Amino acid sequence: MHKILMYICFMYSSELIKGTLKTIVLKLLSDNQKMYGYEITQKVKELTGDKIQLTEGALYPSLHSLEAEGILTTEVVNIGKRVRKYYSLTKKGKSTSQEKVSEFADFMNTMKFLLDIKPQVG
Amino acid sequence: MYTLSEQQIDFILSDIKSRGVEMTDLQVGLLDHICCIVECELEPDGDFESFYRKTIPRFFKRELREIEEETILLLTFKHYYAMKKVMIITGVVSTALFILGSLFKIMHWPGASVLLFSGIVSASLLFLPLLFILKTRESNSRRDKLVLGIGIIFGILISLSTMFKIMHWPYANVLWLISLGTMFFVFIPLYFFTGIRNTEIKTNTITSTIMLVLAVGLLFALTSLKPSYQVTKGNMYTYLNNELLLHKMQSKLSDSIQNTGMVSSINNNCESIKELIIQYEIGEKSIPADFEAKDDIIKEGNLSNDFYDNGKGVQLLYDLKKAVGQYNSLVKLEENKIPVVNTILETDPSKFGLYSNFSVLNSLVQIQMFLASSEMN
Repeated sequence: MHKILMYICFMYSSELIKGTLKTIVLKLLSDNQKMYGYEITQKVKELTGDKIQLTEGALYPSLHSLEAEGILTTEVVNIGKRVRKYYSLTKKGKSTSQEKVSEFADFMNTMKFLLDIKPQVG
Repeated sequence: MYTLSEQQIDFILSDIKSRGVEMTDLQVGLLDHICCIVECELEPDGDFESFYRKTIPRFFKRELREIEEETILLLTFKHYYAMKKVMIITGVVSTALFILGSLFKIMHWPGASVLLFSGIVSASLLFLPLLFILKTRESNSRRDKLVLGIGIIFGILISLSTMFKIMHWPYANVLWLISLGTMFFVFIPLYFFTGIRNTEIKTNTITSTIMLVLAVGLLFALTSLKPSYQVTKGNMYTYLNNELLLHKMQSKLSDSIQNTGMVSSINNNCESIKELIIQYEIGEKSIPADFEAKDDIIKEGNLSNDFYDNGKGVQLLYDLKKAVGQYNSLVKLEENKIPVVNTILETDPSKFGLYSNFSVLNSLVQIQMFLASSEMN
């Protein structure tokens, strides 16, 4: 149903990243107040050293649905002839963001235990 | 950093539109995004057109429109689940309210009407419309949607007319018959002929159609729950015999008593109301002795509200109440007063329509008999 393949990631398989897009976006917005679409993709690229690259085809539908759910709010700024939409978290969005991050952290711990991954030293 | 000209921005926007992205919100977002890519990644003296042609495929697998499709899918899915939840909740709640309401009604407990009313309203105005919206989204064929739509309209009609019947509201029977008519002449044929063409569901369609016809037939049989001819005939003779008894009593009274203002006013009022009811039921001022031969049968039923729409019946009853009140205040002996408690005289005349025609006729004769027997003393 969902077009998972829309995620382009050079390091990880799309199955692995499926479902984390919203968490990534929400966490970025809670750290950076307000961001626009291109800025989000660049920031992810920069923070992960190009290991994760969000595609626009997955990003924009998610941004719109988060906005419809009342998690994000938008602010429009005119840049010459075009319009830039800045996204920021609503009050509800701030708590959703925390929930998503801690849920994912918990998931990672479970996976570590499940797959018996030893912490790498040095 | 490359600087985009206004023409280039217009070009990108019109290209986004021509690739099938229709949501303005999305167009604006994509335009800014593409402009950012060009500005940040193209050399100041680079070739805009070839860079743009290389960049745009980053946004999709086959077509740019996929972004919009994905957006719509995510947006509708969100509503879809919320609507489904509301639908299930309203469905369960209205069923519970309806069953409880019916139980309360059977047991004559207070609150039955409120329960039934809210149950039927939430079922017909929330549950069924939501069911329609969600089911039509699942089905692709226009014909299926039509069958579903008419089925839902029938459901709404039948539950609303059931409510009208339970609440004794006017036009309940008209609405009920319209609902059954819609079901029988529109929905069932449509359902049958669309289903029969599909070989996979042919047998199912035939069975369901038979069951539907049966159900409509049963509901139709319930339209008018009225007593049999024998019972009605018995009611009429009881009333006629009461009248005979009354005349026998009245004949014992002298003309001077009969013509006293108070006595004649009560009697005239009673006669006028009886006349009004009989006139309404059989079109004559009194029940003829050979009513059986003429088939002038009064069916037992509620005095409909429209009967009193002209205000005549209501006015007459007000006058009667007043006259009886005056009479009672002048009578010294308690036993000679005309009883008011637990009779139609105690009722608010505007609610009079809920009474059965025979009980009102007999009550009126009773008042006259009380009056005659008091005057005899």
